[in-house]
Amino acid sequence: MTTTASRPTEGDVPKGDSRLVEMAWDPITRIVGNLGIYTKIDFEDRKVVECHSTSSLFRGYSVFMKGKDPRDAGFITSRICGICGDNHTTCSVYAQNMAYGIKPPILADWIINLGEAAEYIFDHTLFQDNLVFVDYSEAMVKDTNPSVLRRAESTEAPNAAVHGLRTIADIMRSFNPFEGDLYKEALQVSRITREMFCLMEGRHVHPSTVYPGGVGTMPSPSVFTDYLSKLMQVMDFIKRSVAMNDDVFDFFYEALPGYEEVGRRRVLLGCWGAFQNPDVCDYRYETMSDWGRAMYVTPSVIVDGKLLTTDLVDINLGIRILLGSSYYDDWAAEDPFVTHDPLGNPVDHRHPWNQTTLPTPQKRDFDGNYSWVMSPRWFDKNSGEHLALDTGGGAFARLYSTALAGIVDTPYVKATGSSVQISLPRGGNLPEQVLEWHIPKWSNAIERNRARVYFVAYAAAMALFFVEKAMDRVRAGDTKVFQDFEVPDEAIGCGFHEAVRGVLSHHLVIKDKKIANYHPYPPTPWNGSPRDSFGTPGPYEDAIQGTPIFEENGPDDFRGIDIMRAVRSFDPCLPCGVHMYVGSGKTVQKLHSPMFGANHG
Amino acid sequence: MAEIKVGKPDVAPDTTAHTKGVPQGNRKNAYERMIGHHRDGTADARRSTGISPKEHDAILPTMPNVPPA
Repeated sequence: MTTTASRPTEGDVPKGDSRLVEMAWDPITRIVGNLGIYTKIDFEDRKVVECHSTSSLFRGYSVFMKGKDPRDAGFITSRICGICGDNHTTCSVYAQNMAYGIKPPILADWIINLGEAAEYIFDHTLFQDNLVFVDYSEAMVKDTNPSVLRRAESTEAPNAAVHGLRTIADIMRSFNPFEGDLYKEALQVSRITREMFCLMEGRHVHPSTVYPGGVGTMPSPSVFTDYLSKLMQVMDFIKRSVAMNDDVFDFFYEALPGYEEVGRRRVLLGCWGAFQNPDVCDYRYETMSDWGRAMYVTPSVIVDGKLLTTDLVDINLGIRILLGSSYYDDWAAEDPFVTHDPLGNPVDHRHPWNQTTLPTPQKRDFDGNYSWVMSPRWFDKNSGEHLALDTGGGAFARLYSTALAGIVDTPYVKATGSSVQISLPRGGNLPEQVLEWHIPKWSNAIERNRARVYFVAYAAAMALFFVEKAMDRVRAGDTKVFQDFEVPDEAIGCGFHEAVRGVLSHHLVIKDKKIANYHPYPPTPWNGSPRDSFGTPGPYEDAIQGTPIFEENGPDDFRGIDIMRAVRSFDPCLPCGVHMYVGSGKTVQKLHSPMFGANHG
Repeated sequence: MAEIKVGKPDVAPDTTAHTKGVPQGNRKNAYERMIGHHRDGTADARRSTGISPKEHDAILPTMPNVPPA
């Protein structure tokens, strides 16, 4: 369903309608354990009628960052996340480089790019193969859709020559948690890729060698050759993963006609760009449009399959933080920090640079305020709409944006305007392979998941390019990785990056050499936001409302697998423990955690 | 741990970073003062070791001087 198409809303659903069953999953995420999905399901029509996403945990980084030394920001904000903390460090460093007026040495940017590429490979692999695929494993499908599993047993896998598994059911068996071959191999791969990360950024997941001004990594040739040898170790795994993903996801479309509607919403995507091009990037706001477009993942806002902009200045000025259903007081009466950007453009009072966080704890009320997440929106000055952008779990928006913009052109990755071509070299067992990710027809659960594995290939191919660029500099004797600087009395900065699961921005205001205002906006506030002050639902809510139910179980033993697939496709950090509440007053005491498989209920 | 005689520290080891008197790695001209680092971004073996550093430098002037570790 889309935000624009008409559909039943709260007003259309008669309260107490006996056909509707309330079902809730709370908490869903592991890292902060704070995402809840509350739904009303019509089991006769077999679809979700209403959905609210809620967060019950307040973090308060924007509150306690005030007054701190800005050089500490990267180390503190890293702790926002336990899996992609380095994305925060990197983004904070980008914002600080701008605020301090630093152009770091070129080699430092290649090293950060290499670290971030390893992070994407690691995190996407861990999430996809160890958490998402549990929902598509033999154990789960046997429990939720036995007829689909029967069909999978007799369906030949089209890419069997690449991954070596004869039927779709064989692939599903390899997804089985703790037992499946892919599940176990993915754990090994996530170890190797974390080692790659540590070579570049010192420590996972809170880097010890990434600072404003550069890095503390010693750029010895062996650092890069160690990285390269580990990268080549996982190359064949990536090729097999892509083939298995394509086979299973294509099978789901075929076996369950209409499955493209699960988790579907209008194409409203945001990507803030990743992998700086140090030959162009000088971290100055005045030139941000140019170096933003030179990034090796192109930033953009995409609506209905069309690019609205690839200009980071436009993207920055369009960000609005709305309230509406959040536990905060409005900051309309507070003084703004930044009235104009360095180019002289006016900065809105609802922009993160001007935000003041005023928490107001209160009882959860789905007719009023029900979440600690605010509602970030992107203001489209042409249409006057506040767009509820999602990130498609990160990879989907990154590939979509890069493909559509058609700017990226490297020896291993090329954007064509409608697709991204990724060349992977020969590995231990498999030959050289050229993969192509095409812009799909839908923004739905399956395409978000499919994009994730293709972005693993994208990051691996980019890492090859970065390691070659870095080695070229080291071979020429360039080992400078840090640029000294002074902290100014007053400055502003903004950093734009891609956390593994999507857009990431850090906005910084410095006064008297201290932080006066600091607002990180990671992907989950965009994806998991509640209804905003215009009543527009957040992306999770929007994608789940109207999702059809394909699960064969009835209300009594309902797993909510289609809803979970829709939510998890957005990569809401690491879903693990899920417990279920049935709204008729009966609490299901049995905790079921799909991570452990359907048989471990 | 070997008993190595060291001088009295100027500040307590747990003094927070950015305390007045503690040298800051990012301070202006810090790069030029660091031994073994050259202004043009290259380095020599003194960056990595003080023990016979010249033996670890490149053996020919046309070769890049990559510090040992």
